[in-house]
This record gives sequence, structure tokens and C-alpha cells, in this order.
Amino acid sequence: MSYAYLFKYIIIGDTGVGKSCLLLQFTDKRFQPVHDLTIGVEFGARMITIDGKQIKLQIWDTAGQEAFRSITRSYYRGAAGALLVYDITRRETFNHLTTWLEDARQHSNSNMVIMLIGNKSDLETRREVKKEEGEAFAHEHGLIFMETSAKTAANVEEAFINTAKEIYEKIQEGVFDINNEANGIKIGPQHSPTNPNLPQSGQGAGQGGGCC
Amino acid sequence: MFNKVRNALYNAVGGVEALPAVADGEDQGRMRVPKFPYARPHFLLFQQDEVQVSADHQIRPIIVPRDISKLPWSSGYAETVNAGKSTWNEDQACVQQRILVRDSEKHIQGAGMPYTYFALFDGHAGYGAAVAAANQLHNVVHKKLMDVIDHILPPLELGNNGVHLESSTPRGMSLWFPEKALPIDAFITGALELAFNEMDAQIGEDKKKYVMKGGCTCVVALFIAGKLYVANAGDSRAVRCSLGKPYPMSNDFTPSTERRRLQQLAAHKPELLSNNFTHLEYNPRPGRALIGRKILYRDVYMTGWAYKTCSPEDLRTPVVTGEGKRSRLLATIGVTRGLGDHELRSIIHNTPIKPFLSSQAEIKIYNIEAHNINESDVLVMGTDGLWDVTSNERTAEIVQHSLHNFPFGDKANAKYRFTSAAQDLVMHSRGKPEGHNWQTSGGAPGTIDDISVFVIPLAPYKSEWEAWKKLNEELHYSAKLPPSSTISSEQPATDVGLRSAVNQTTGPSDSITGPLQNGISSSTAPIEVFIPQPDDVNASELRLAEISLDAEEVTVIDPEETDVSNGESESPPASGDNADPTSPNYCER
Repeated sequence: MSYAYLFKYIIIGDTGVGKSCLLLQFTDKRFQPVHDLTIGVEFGARMITIDGKQIKLQIWDTAGQEAFRSITRSYYRGAAGALLVYDITRRETFNHLTTWLEDARQHSNSNMVIMLIGNKSDLETRREVKKEEGEAFAHEHGLIFMETSAKTAANVEEAFINTAKEIYEKIQEGVFDINNEANGIKIGPQHSPTNPNLPQSGQGAGQGGGCC
Repeated sequence: MFNKVRNALYNAVGGVEALPAVADGEDQGRMRVPKFPYARPHFLLFQQDEVQVSADHQIRPIIVPRDISKLPWSSGYAETVNAGKSTWNEDQACVQQRILVRDSEKHIQGAGMPYTYFALFDGHAGYGAAVAAANQLHNVVHKKLMDVIDHILPPLELGNNGVHLESSTPRGMSLWFPEKALPIDAFITGALELAFNEMDAQIGEDKKKYVMKGGCTCVVALFIAGKLYVANAGDSRAVRCSLGKPYPMSNDFTPSTERRRLQQLAAHKPELLSNNFTHLEYNPRPGRALIGRKILYRDVYMTGWAYKTCSPEDLRTPVVTGEGKRSRLLATIGVTRGLGDHELRSIIHNTPIKPFLSSQAEIKIYNIEAHNINESDVLVMGTDGLWDVTSNERTAEIVQHSLHNFPFGDKANAKYRFTSAAQDLVMHSRGKPEGHNWQTSGGAPGTIDDISVFVIPLAPYKSEWEAWKKLNEELHYSAKLPPSSTISSEQPATDVGLRSAVNQTTGPSDSITGPLQNGISSSTAPIEVFIPQPDDVNASELRLAEISLDAEEVTVIDPEETDVSNGESESPPASGDNADPTSPNYCER
């Protein structure tokens, strides 16, 4: 499908905080209570619309386990947005945020938009981290913040879309160099008539025009 | 409609290489299309989007199967794309679990012998041959195994109608002209060798009809009949790892290791070189300034060196140039066995290279049944991207370390242990991006090549095999029972009856079930009936008698002394002495 921009996201955070479930809820609109451990990296994609423009989100879901940390680090590069996830029912996942953030800042491009997500908001009775604490951490480090529930889908759309809006604004402000793919942004075929990835024949162009 | 399909295909895979090439004029403008579309290995369950993302040359994501249950025995697999040398990852992989069974016995559970097939293909000069082999080789192997099923799997005596008897004992003449009794290894080895050869021929034919570019190496691990058979053609490698130590299960076939074969071929068929190359070897290679002076050289019949006077003819490029990993055949290609490459020509002089390439597989066998297998004993198979950076020894250490992180006893996470090991191996050879380069954790350069790795545990196959064997023996026993279900001491033993009785006595420590089955002559006279129990004395005696009878043909693999028996121990014609594992090119480079 044709798009104006492609944004690359990465989802990071401790193991078991619900990274893969957030992705599944966002791309497939379903919740899987028992999820396999993510060993390497998994990909998801969805089209969204911002400001009347089709934007494709390409999401890299990473392994949270400590043993895979060095592999995960090599995926920060070339991401335009990051969802940094903790579990509101497990204090230690919140305590580890600083380490995650340092890692992300060190290995990503400086303009990467980071959204802090306190997941499992449906489990209010087991809450260990107050919403205010999340807000304070986000404020202190210049992140956007939301509490979500991959189970009930509360705020999941918003988390992904608000991150995209922020990236889109940065593009409008000229902060991102959109011609450098290392920034995690790609201009889609419908935006660039000279895109070398398009088939040169007339039929290809016809196809492209038909679907948007 | 055609255009639509073509566009869909093109859009799906993208890139210049995917664009179906327009055939030359002789094809009257007909478009040739790929026989198989580009894809990643079937067990990754990739959508087109993921194919695209996995080919990110900047990030080089390490891909592991999303659903680990798609691989037998929780085997590990990991891959990463090259750093930009080709648009697509040209490595391919395939895994199959099948049952070798006669049509007439398909309905009987346990009658067929299950086997498991893992294969890696490292493509070059295009992905066509590798994709074709990944899609088809397992079918060819299956067909070849079916052709010799009577030597691998004794038939059940169904209703004693004689049909199976006839087909399984084609040696009525054996009393007078004893047919050489061949071990089961000989037939499985033969099936694999034949399959490689046929696959290569098929690719050659398909290249005329379809877009199918390039060639590929091929390494296959076949778990069948209680053993592991590794068939290799090329520079991918299989290494068994146990307790942190590597035990090679294949040799690399490169211009350097196959120098002797290539030079001999060039000497015997000089027309293949069209006078552009020389079969002689020089030390060092002479330049124009040396004409008329003494130079060191050797011919194909020499192991030592001698002097000759340099003539202009000596300035031709040698058939093999360079050493080790950098060695090249006809100054072009760095691998000398594999599939495809029918159209390949040398970079200089445009000389056809295919006549020098061999599709011959070298088979090595490891008797799993006869060995004590540890939960962490694995077979690591990898394309050369892995081995260029990570040595056999380092591989065994990394595997041991990774498996330690996911201990066998940890029920919840044990299933990830081999996947994690595969990922760690790819990570070790790929390294991390450092500016525009890739660097390993030790600061050495990482590979810029595609990397694919299997980490296959051996213990699950052993249990699977032992369970099947028990079931199959019970089937043979019940098939042999007379209708009254009582054993009469007067009943003469049939050939098949005898066979199954012998099978009963073949314990796990016995590695010669194959030769035994085939060593039994159909001319056996009526003898006392066996009560087929594992410790049956009569049967044991008979077994011993049979062994001594066929002593010359039976290859006894002693688990204590021989780790790997080379199925090709008799003069591998293509490799010569260079395939020797002690050859300097064999191990570390």
C-alpha cells in the first residue's frame, strides 16, 4: 500500500512488561494473555493517517531479557520513535527506566522521539507505580507519557499515534533530515515521483495511482 | 493479468534483481519469470513486509523464528543479511520432517521410518539457485530414499502374501554369486549423492526456462535410521559441538582445498581453459620481467617444487590463484562445489567455469544411536559468513555459554535455548556497527556476508528414534504372528520372520543393523523358530554368525574410537588429499 512517510519505531523495556502485546494490540487489535518470549526482534506494521497523510509505522519489537541487551542495542540505530515500556504492577521495571533511557540516548539518533508507557493500567489493584511518578519521570527527561492497557486496548492507539504526530511535527519544523534514512523516516512512493524503487514501466505507475 | 501478477511480484520483492529479465531474441520476446519467488525460509512465516525489513543492510537485524515450534526439537535458527553486497540475503534454508513409508503400509502407524532434514544454501551471483534448491532438494532426497527403501526399512509381512518378500530380497542368486552385502549407510549416502547431482541437473534445465540466476553451496543434515548424515558441497560447514568442544562434520570445498582436483582437470582437458589459464602452480607467480629466468613451479603430478625457465606461456593466470579463503578458481569464484552456476564465466577471458565445479556431496556419518548424547550436544550448521569470523572452537564455546543461560531444567524457557545459541553465533560473526564497518566484540572485523545458522540438538532425535524403533519392532513381531497367535515350534521361519527376530536382538549399542538386514540371504534353510525377545540366545548366535559371514562387508563403527565415519572413505575423487581435515586450509582461516 502506498504511503507518504514510513516511520520506524522500536519498542524497548524490561522483559514481561507487555511490549509484544502492545504491538499485537496495535497491529492486530487482539490480546494474547500468554505470549512467547521474544528472543530477537519481531516486526509489525500498520498504516495510520495524520494530517490527511498516510503514514506507515514499521515497528521493531525487541527482546527485553538482559541476556539479549547487546543485540537489542544494535536496533536503536535508524529509529524515529521509541516506546519505552514499564509495567505499573512491577516497581523494578520502572526503576530500570534510567538504564534503558541511557542506552536509547546513546545508541539512537538524537532526534528520536521517546514515548514513556506505563502498561497494564487495567490491573489497578496491583499497581505499584503511581501515574504521577511516570509523569514526573517523563517530564524530567523530556518524554511524552501515557498509561496503556494492551489487554483492554486503552490508550494503545493513542500511544503509537501521538508518537507519530510528534515525529510528523518535527518533520514539519525541519528537525529531521528526511532524506537520511538513518533517521528512521522514509518518504513513500506517492510523495516522490522519481523514487527509484518504483517500476519504471507505465503499468507500475497506474497501479500506484489506483490504490490511494 | 500477467502484468498484474508481474507487478504484484515485483512490488512484493522489489529491487533490480527481482525484476523478471526479458529473454533474449531467441525466445521471441517471451518473458521469463522466476520459477520460485524470492522469500525467506518457510519456517520464519514472513510476510512480504518482513522480507523487506529483514533486508535492512544498515541495521542487519538478526532474525529468529517467531514461532519456535515450527522447527523440530526446538532447534535454533538465526540469520542476518549482508552489509550491502547484494540486495537480498542470498542464503536460504529448509527444514522438513517426513516419513519414509511404502504405499502399502501407509495406514499402519509406526510402519514408516520418520526422518528429519535440515538444509542451508548459500547463494552467489543471484538468489535463484539457492531458492530453487531450498524449494526442491528435499523432494529429490525423498525420492532417492524411496528408491532404496527396501535396504533401509524391512517391510512388514502383511498377510504373508509374498509381495514384500519378493521386492525386499532381490538376491536369489546370492548362493552362487554372493552379492556384496552393503550397509544401510551405503544406500543413504548414495541417495544423498544422487539427489545433489539431480538437483544440479534440474537447476541447469530450469535456467533455460526461467529466470534462475547464480549458484549455491549446499549442506544437508539428515537424521535417519538412528544416525546423522551430513552431506556437504561448498564452503558452508557443519560442526557437532559437545561439552564446549567442536567435532567437524564436513570439509570446506574451495579452490584452495580442491586445488589438486582442479589442476588435474585442467591438465587433462586443456580445451576447458581455451589457452587463457594454466594448470601449473608457481611460487611466486611470475611477471613479465622474469621471462627467460628460472622460476619455481610444480605440475599436477608433483608435491614438491622444481625450476623451469619462464616463458610467455607461464604468464597465464593459474587455474587456482590466492590462498585459503581468498583463493579463486579461474580468478573468479571462491567455492568449488555446489549447485547451479551453469552460466557462470570467468571475469577475465569469459571462460565457462561450470566444468570445474562439482555438485558432488561429501557425506559424513555420526551414529547417534550408538553414542551417549547429552542434552547440550548439538549440530551447528552455518554458511561461511559464520565461519569466516567464528572458529569451530569459538562456536562450541559460544554454544555452551548460550545453553548455560537457558538451562535444560528451566521448563518455561528451555525451549528457547537453541534459538538463543543460534542468535548468539550470528551476533558474534556480525558484530556491531562501528562507523561504516562491522566489528566483533573482540574488536576484529565482523563479516559483511549473509549469515545463517542452525543449532540442532541431537538428544531429541535419539529418543524419537528409540521410540520409533520399539514401535516398529512390535509391529514386525505382531505381523509375524500366525493367525492362531500361538507360536508353533514346527513352523518354519520365513525370511522376513527371521529378519524381524534379528531386529529384536539389535540393541541400541549395535550400530550395524543395516548390514545385518541386508546380509541375510533368502536361501536360509528352515530353522528353529525364534521367540523374539531381546535376550534370545538363538537369535544372538545367529546374529554373530551372520556378522562373521559378512565380515568383509560390514563396517563396524566403534563408538569409542571413531566419532565420525566418512561415508566416502574410499578415494573421494574430487577432493584428493586437500580435503584432509588436517590441511591448513581446512580449519581456521
